[in-house]
Amino acid sequence: MTAKPLISAKGLSVHFLVGKGVLGRKAVLKAVNDINLDIPKGAFFGLVGESGSGKTTLGRAMLQAAPISEGTITFDDGSGPIDVAGLQKQALKNYRKKAQLIFQDPYAALSPRMTVRDIIAEPLEVMKITRTRAETDMRVREIAAMCRLNVEHLRRFPHAFSGGQRQRISIARALVASPSFLVADESVAALDVSIQADILNLLKSLQKDLGLTFLFISHDLSVVAHTCDHVAVMYLGRLVETAPTRTLFNNPHHPYTRALLSAVPSLDPDDRGKGEKLEGEIPSPIAPPPGCKFHTRCRFVQDRCKREEPALRQMGENHFAACHFAKELVGK
Amino acid sequence: MSAPLIDVQNLNIRFHTDEGLITAVDDVSFHLNPGEILGLVGESGSGKSVTAKALMKLNAANAVIGDKTRLLLNYKDQRIDIAKLKKPKELLIARGGAISMIFQEPMASFAPAITIGAQMVEQLRIHDKSLSNAGAKDISIDMLNRVGISDATKRFEQYAFELSGGMRQRAMIAMALSTQPALLIADEPTTALDVTIQAQVIDLMKDLVRDFGMAIIFITHDLGVIAQTADRVAVMYLGRIVETGTVRDVIRSPQHPYTIGLLNALPKLDDLDAPLTPVPGDIPSPLDRPTGCVFHTRCPQVIAGRCASAVPQLHRIKDEHAAACFATEVEPA
Amino acid sequence: MFFRKKKTASKEDYFTASHRQLIWQRFKSKRTALIAGWFLITFILMGLFAPFLSPYNPTAAGRNENYTNGAPQIPQFCDDAGCSWRPFIHGVERYRGADTNFRWVTRQTEERNYLTFLPSDGWAWHVGKFNLNLPGERFDIRAPGIEFTTHLFGVQDGYIHFFGTDASGKDILSRTFHAIRVSLAVGTIGVFISFVLALVIGGISGYFGGWVDSGIQAFTDSIRVIPTIPLFMALAAFVPDGWTAEQRFFFISLILGLLGWTTLARRIRTHILAERNADYVLAAQLCGASSGHVIRRHLLPSFTSYIIVDLVISFPYMVLSETALSFIGLGLKDPVNSLGVMLQNVSKVDVLLNYQWYFIPVPIFVAIVLAFVLVGDGLRDAADPYSEVNK
Repeated sequence: MTAKPLISAKGLSVHFLVGKGVLGRKAVLKAVNDINLDIPKGAFFGLVGESGSGKTTLGRAMLQAAPISEGTITFDDGSGPIDVAGLQKQALKNYRKKAQLIFQDPYAALSPRMTVRDIIAEPLEVMKITRTRAETDMRVREIAAMCRLNVEHLRRFPHAFSGGQRQRISIARALVASPSFLVADESVAALDVSIQADILNLLKSLQKDLGLTFLFISHDLSVVAHTCDHVAVMYLGRLVETAPTRTLFNNPHHPYTRALLSAVPSLDPDDRGKGEKLEGEIPSPIAPPPGCKFHTRCRFVQDRCKREEPALRQMGENHFAACHFAKELVGK
Repeated sequence: MSAPLIDVQNLNIRFHTDEGLITAVDDVSFHLNPGEILGLVGESGSGKSVTAKALMKLNAANAVIGDKTRLLLNYKDQRIDIAKLKKPKELLIARGGAISMIFQEPMASFAPAITIGAQMVEQLRIHDKSLSNAGAKDISIDMLNRVGISDATKRFEQYAFELSGGMRQRAMIAMALSTQPALLIADEPTTALDVTIQAQVIDLMKDLVRDFGMAIIFITHDLGVIAQTADRVAVMYLGRIVETGTVRDVIRSPQHPYTIGLLNALPKLDDLDAPLTPVPGDIPSPLDRPTGCVFHTRCPQVIAGRCASAVPQLHRIKDEHAAACFATEVEPA
Repeated sequence: MFFRKKKTASKEDYFTASHRQLIWQRFKSKRTALIAGWFLITFILMGLFAPFLSPYNPTAAGRNENYTNGAPQIPQFCDDAGCSWRPFIHGVERYRGADTNFRWVTRQTEERNYLTFLPSDGWAWHVGKFNLNLPGERFDIRAPGIEFTTHLFGVQDGYIHFFGTDASGKDILSRTFHAIRVSLAVGTIGVFISFVLALVIGGISGYFGGWVDSGIQAFTDSIRVIPTIPLFMALAAFVPDGWTAEQRFFFISLILGLLGWTTLARRIRTHILAERNADYVLAAQLCGASSGHVIRRHLLPSFTSYIIVDLVISFPYMVLSETALSFIGLGLKDPVNSLGVMLQNVSKVDVLLNYQWYFIPVPIFVAIVLAFVLVGDGLRDAADPYSEVNK
């Protein structure tokens, strides 16, 4: 990665204590486990994984909305590095202006009791960015227009809008405080196909116009392939492969990435039932398997995989994979 | 040609709501032969689930089914109009007898307080009074094995919440199939699943069709899933079928602007350079149902003065391929 | 295209309708609830204006000695002497003679007693009169209030009893109005106390969660399992005979309030638990919003409508509890007018056989409870659009 990272995680882990711990025996859920990740400034960075892979937790941790157990997150937009994990009070409030979240469910993300104007204006008021009501209104109108919302509709309540429009309101709220970093957590997953493309295009154009950096979390490989310029694949709290989008999709090295790609149903009715199918399911993150986390489902599993956890190794330019046999397996 | 397994004619469903009578399904007709997989594709509000539920008379109490609606089921030399069934006993044939249904959320079809096995046995014995408990258990365990559940005897004694997502889905399929229905309605059965699990479930369902020879109505919003599973497909939009035909015809040479738009909006893995073209505008609210062709408010090929006033009917393009659009209609001779 | 324009205007109204307006819209479309609502308003007004509506003082001071256990008097326009445009009743007198074996009987006279409206010479009632007897005479608080003597109706001379009179000659109509007033007041105070408790306890429980929540839930459960009847009996034994009607009244309200908060507290807790994990609350927190902001802007507005609904629903239970307590003799006692007392009066065999007009307050009582329940149900359905399947 040539560009300087806007946000970078070093050895990041997020652990949760789960279960009833009456006798102090709580299980540790390692949602995110020792992750190193650099997101360059201006990137549209994709994070892919199945449910339980820890992708949402990783995104939240970058916003300091999940407890960071170990490691550091450094945010640097040019005005000096910020240690995200250690932020307190005012410093945290300042960071909130720079990093925001776009939600998955456009229905749950908007308060049904506030008008669209009030919803979009809330961050401005909470962060005390604008001083007068007129100033707030101006900013709200500006950002609403940018998100292609009808400014005539700002008086309306969310129940008047469809899923796609609500998602635009949600985006406007995230952008109103002019952040430079946005985490979009499955932000198109709940939308209909015909609307999804519209929101994706909107996110792309906003990124270009405002110079934003996106962490785009999704389970949908084809969406990620079309929007992101760099992709990281997660499995059970670990990064298994990261590469520029083209490289990853044309030349996946990790067996999990390959299986994931071939599991995407093809639009070609004559291309049925081909490709490698994964057996079984993702193991519980409370009791992950030893060694390589993927070995329980891997076609190419060797004894070494069960003992030794592979580290991310460079496969090509900006291309890393965490598999002992990544290089040997290419083409198999 | 033998009689179709199910023949839906002029299905019309409206809902009584506080805001008035809302049309959910408007004049939908389709048929399904034994052993065939029909994909019903549509976005939210397309009425695909409502249509499927109507076949089992599972719609909410405020649903009104049209007078002209015929839901003809040919089952074991009987010809039954499901729309006319009323008594709970008669309904058994549509609910679990000839037709079974699986859902997006498998937890919804399992009672939380009884074991999977108990529920399967109960269901089997409702449909076949002569069956003994032991016999029902054998069938159930056999069926659990059949859908690829390892350790079926153990699972039989377990509760649904003890199973993982993929296993639950399999157990639900096993339960739906245990009564040997002639038609399985699958309502977004893979939507809540991860892609790797989805691929497993799709394979399983294709195997089951081959082995049991039953028909499936596969409801989904995902054209990729349809391409992988269905023989024929019906594309629905706001309660109407806008295009229908074999999967190859509809996906390779879509005729209706909506189908074309849907395919263009879909990100495709094999062509990363293709731009994503959204279908312009939003899906209208059901309260605000457009007049004429339901799609005309978003259609790029709208014909001024015609599409907004007249409702296009399905017209044949070739063989089974038909679309309901004035713009693509061949000039009438 | 006049109609079209009008239609879009109303649509915009719908889109800009707030949550509360939507609830109101849905409520208005429920006919039963709406009718019940009108009844309810009528009853509340009856309670509020009871002194004005009552022709006579409902206590012993207003009794009609000449007409004890008297049957209801129906105003009439005609009698043997011809018709009149003003409604009238016949006077009554107490009489004994040889023909009655020298026992006192009440009999009608031929004299017409015309109905009057807004007579200003009735019994005195006060607005804003307030007495508080604290220990020690110096601390007593007294506000004389404004005195009124005007009532809705009366008769020229003597008494009129639409609902008849009881054994001591008190006007049952006046007693009924005051009973509604007292029962609603007990309910209001009880609901208010339990509401405040529920809001504080449920709010703390839901907002903080964790062990605070577990502790409070255990406490709530222990309150819930207290068997009420034995408790009430114990309390009744505890209440000194010397207590005045007011003291009893506040005591009853307090007890009902202290016992009635658990259900509401639990609902508030559940609601806050669900709401505080909502995405839009997280969105506010990710802007750096404080707890105060979250509570003020998101949590409180999110459940005000539900609380109103819950209050309306819990109201009839308060009224019912008061009635039940008074009925079994543990609550308010006869000189006081409350629906429970009125109901208790009905339970005598003598009444069943001879004085059926004592029953007139019963259907009114049933109607009040029913009105509350129906309005509460209507509001609940309106506040929760997912209670009916609309899909």
